[in-house]
Amino acid sequence: MCPETDADDAVQDAFFKAYHALPRFRDGAPLRPWLLRIVTNEARNRRRSAGRRHGLALRAAAREPRDAAVPGPEATVIAAEASAELMAALNTLRDDDREILGARFLLDLSEAETAEALGLPRGTVKSRTSRSLARLREALNAAQVSR
Amino acid sequence: MSDQPMRLAARDDAGLEAMLRGSAASIAWPTASPTGAPDIATRVRVRLVAAPPPAARRPWAAWRPVRRGLVLALIALLALAAIAGAVGLGLPGLQLILSEPPASPPPSVAPSRTPPPGALGSSLRLGDNVTLEQAEAITGIEARLPSDPSIGPPDEVYVDRSRGNQVAFVWAASETLPETREPGIGLILMRFEGELDDGYRQKLIGEGVTVERVTVDGQPGFWVSGDAHFFFYIHEGRGHIDDGRRWVGDALAWTDGDTTYRIESALGRDATIALAESLE
Repeated sequence: MCPETDADDAVQDAFFKAYHALPRFRDGAPLRPWLLRIVTNEARNRRRSAGRRHGLALRAAAREPRDAAVPGPEATVIAAEASAELMAALNTLRDDDREILGARFLLDLSEAETAEALGLPRGTVKSRTSRSLARLREALNAAQVSR
Repeated sequence: MSDQPMRLAARDDAGLEAMLRGSAASIAWPTASPTGAPDIATRVRVRLVAAPPPAARRPWAAWRPVRRGLVLALIALLALAAIAGAVGLGLPGLQLILSEPPASPPPSVAPSRTPPPGALGSSLRLGDNVTLEQAEAITGIEARLPSDPSIGPPDEVYVDRSRGNQVAFVWAASETLPETREPGIGLILMRFEGELDDGYRQKLIGEGVTVERVTVDGQPGFWVSGDAHFFFYIHEGRGHIDDGRRWVGDALAWTDGDTTYRIESALGRDATIALAESLE
C-alpha cells in the first residue's frame, strides 16, 4: 500500500511540468495552490493510467510517548487501532471522497486551498466534504457489520 | 477492538474530522528525502538538465479536466511544500528560477572546498575549454571583460553554444578576487544570448535567499545573495536554459539588449555592480 516510489514519481513529474509551465503562471497568483493543482492532476493521471488503487497505510512503529501527557500504552494501542480502522474505511471510499477528506483533514488544507487544488468551486468543497464524511461513517458501519 | 468501528461510526462530523486530523501524523507519508537517496529537488533538477522542453505543448486551458484521483498525490504536496521554494523573477531577456538547495545535498551536488584536478572550471559544466580568441571566433562576438587592470584577463574561457551561445570567463581567486563558493575561483563572468521579455514575475522567494532589483549601466538586473541556490534561465519561445551544474553563491544578473550577463563573485553587491559596469 502507499508505495513511496509512486508518490515520489508523481511529485517529480509535477515539478518537471510546473517548471515548464512557469511562463504561463499568472502574475500575482498564489504559488502554492497552483503547485497543488499540478501535483493533484499528475497523481490523478498516474493513478488512472495505472488502473490500480492504493490506500493509505499507517506507520508500522508506534511513536514513543514523549512526556507524561501522552496516553499510556493501552490508550495508544486503542488510538492506533482506531486510526487503522479509520484508514481502512477511508480506503474503501470513492476517489473523490478520499480526495476531499484527505485534502481537508489529512493535509489540513483550507476550503479555499482544497477548492484550488482539486479544481472545485468552494461551495462544492463544503457540500462534498459533508457527503464524504457521511459515506465514511457508512463505511465504518459496514465494516462493523461484516465482522 | 471489535467495537472500535461502531464507536467511530457513532461520531458526528466534528468527531470524524478530529479523528482524521489526529491520524494524519501516523500515516506513512512519502518523504522528500528518502534515506540514502537523492532528494526530490535534486532528482527533478537532474531531469530538467537531461530532458529538453517539449517541442509543442498543449495550452494549459486545453488540458482535459480530470475528475478522479488519488489522495497520495495530495500527500506528496507535503514534500512539495518542503522543496517548493522556487522563485521566478523576470528580466528583459530572461526569467530567473531560483531554487533552494536541498537540506542535505548529495555529494555529487554539494560543492567541495577542494579544487578539482585539472582546469579551474572543469567541473562546472561550463562547456568547452577554449582560448579567448577561439571563443570570439566560435560565437562571433567580441568579448567584454572587466577593465580593472588588477583583475586582468580571464584564466579560463568556456563556450557552450547549446545554451544561448554561452561564454563563461573564469578567474582564479586572488587578493583582488576573493574565493567564491567554487573552490579556487574568484570570479565567473557569463554571457549568453537572450530574447526580450517585458514580463516581470515576482513569486515566492525561499528563505535565506535575497533578490534585489538593481541597475547596471542603467539596465535592469538582479543581485541575488544569501544562501546557495540553483540557477535556471527561461527564454520565452526557446524553452529553458538550465545552468544546472551546481550551487551558486552571490550573483549579479542583468540584460543588455539581447545579451544577458551573470557574474558570480564574493566582492559584494556594489563592487560586483562596479565590476559589471566596467566591462568593455
